[in-house]
Amino acid sequence: MREKLIQYSILSSILFLFWVIFSGKLDVKHLMIGAVTALVIAWICSSFLQVSSVTTPGIPVKEYAVFNLPYLKLFPYLGWLLWELVKANVDVALLVLNPQMPISPQIFTFKKTMSNPVAHMILANSITLTPGTITVDVQEDVYTIHALTESAALSLAPLAGEGDMPARVGRLFNE
Amino acid sequence: MLQDKFFTVLLVGLVVIAFSMLFRVFKGPTVYDRLNGLGVIGTDAILILILWGFLQKRVEMYVDIALSYAILGFISLVVLAKFLQGKGDADL
Amino acid sequence: MRILAIFFLMGGFFFTTVAALGVIRFPDFYTRLHAAGKGDTLGIALSITGLALYHGFNLVSLKLMFIVFFIFLANPIGTHVLSGAAYKTGIRPWTGKGE
Repeated sequence: MREKLIQYSILSSILFLFWVIFSGKLDVKHLMIGAVTALVIAWICSSFLQVSSVTTPGIPVKEYAVFNLPYLKLFPYLGWLLWELVKANVDVALLVLNPQMPISPQIFTFKKTMSNPVAHMILANSITLTPGTITVDVQEDVYTIHALTESAALSLAPLAGEGDMPARVGRLFNE
Repeated sequence: MLQDKFFTVLLVGLVVIAFSMLFRVFKGPTVYDRLNGLGVIGTDAILILILWGFLQKRVEMYVDIALSYAILGFISLVVLAKFLQGKGDADL
Repeated sequence: MRILAIFFLMGGFFFTTVAALGVIRFPDFYTRLHAAGKGDTLGIALSITGLALYHGFNLVSLKLMFIVFFIFLANPIGTHVLSGAAYKTGIRPWTGKGE
């Protein structure tokens, strides 16, 4: 119940913020209309925003709230991701501008066990944005990755142990 | 004005890029290549709209258009990809 | 501030150009997606951030930053949807060794 209330207030405040940004008027009448609209829409939508956990045999299914993210830990992660994105772009730019184009594309799979679907979504998006790898498919917790070069594939999923990025996302969500 | 000239140069460059994407859209070879080219054109069009707004000194109007264009482009890309998924004839 | 904005705009334009070149030059569909998914995201995000810096802080630059946030979220999802659809249709990646 308490979880649902937090979810509801986060969603309605995000909607209200969007109202303020898009309308651009700060007088009492418009703010009142916005607040009422945000509350009603959040009340209608809050039941859609519960996602059930990724099924692993033996563990009971849990319900997760979409907006229940570790916001404080998210910001350092986003900063790190931006820096990785710049490095990825320089890599791709060097490959594109090189006349021989030294690429060796390959598809591989790896496994990362997490029960929160939002964590899976963040990991898949981050993989697409970082050096030489894009997410092709996610089935339960098996990722199919297309890598541009051999070293990109090895940096995401080394032969032994776990890559840097899945470990970071795992720490972000305490899983 | 110097910054207007700078914006004009950027705008012309972006239009050239968007037109060069039409090469990929017409050539293919698969239907997904065409969609990819259209997606790149859509993303570039957001920036073209905003730059045009800066040149016309009416950004506050064009930024709303760019925002709705971004959302519409994303939705149509997802819908088309989902529609074509698993249809078999990739060499459309 | 103007200098920083112009620097951002030039960087964004460079990455957008590289993305377009990559989409034309790369040999198969998946490698083209690499160029489109990464180069375009960073190119457009840098350019719009530069324009927001140039405009100064007000409602318009707030909306511009919202566009940047949306592109960061939506562009990888679009890439992922396209590649997933192509993979399920049965397009196999080019490996450089011929057939």
